[in-house]
Amino acid sequence: MAAQVPTAYYLVLAAILFSIGVGSFFIKRNLITVFMSIELMLNAVNLSFVTFAHQWHEVKARSSSSS
Amino acid sequence: MQLALFIIFGALAVAGALNLLLQRHPINSALSLVVVMMSLAVLYWSLGAEFLAAAQVIVYSGAIMVLFVFVIMLLNAGKEEKTSGSRAAYIAGFPGAAAIFCLLSFVFLSEQKALGVANLGGHLNSGLNNIEELSRVLFTKLLLPFEVTSVLILVAILGAVVLARKEDQ
Repeated sequence: MAAQVPTAYYLVLAAILFSIGVGSFFIKRNLITVFMSIELMLNAVNLSFVTFAHQWHEVKARSSSSS
Repeated sequence: MQLALFIIFGALAVAGALNLLLQRHPINSALSLVVVMMSLAVLYWSLGAEFLAAAQVIVYSGAIMVLFVFVIMLLNAGKEEKTSGSRAAYIAGFPGAAAIFCLLSFVFLSEQKALGVANLGGHLNSGLNNIEELSRVLFTKLLLPFEVTSVLILVAILGAVVLARKEDQ
């Protein structure tokens, strides 16, 4: 089996994306780009949901991911 | 395999997000957000959520981003002017975002042992169908949240109609 990725790396990636979303939410001047940074934050949280669903072998968390 | 996929598409997602942060024109931000969403779809697939990966490509990259691009073109949003920026954003925003990131990654990395490793495809390698399992859960255990979500979407549609209605004199 090839090198596996620790689950924590996926969660750290989600944290990076969430923080970039928070940062661009604060510095953007345009309403549309503010919405886009909110979408970025939603996607980051979605990634953490999928990661936890993968870890707990549970499909319940994954079904709660939405826009 | 999984490590290579994670590194390539994770780096692509972070680069797209940084590009969204740094670009001044909204259409460039929208296109870099498409890059982020496509690479997140690959990451979902590598975690064994292939239905969600397909839904991510179709719904986010297909529908929501097209909606954003249409809105940008209809509003004719130009390059955002270079203002000095509100001081509150620079004082509270960046340290706040950095603090959130440090806190979250500290917790995740310190609980790394308990979190375990991810393997390609996950438990769905055992022949279980992703869509079948998802729909079974969604229509039995999670039936009430599912229906409440549909009511929530109905409320959003009604709100959009009410806000867009022309006041007749």
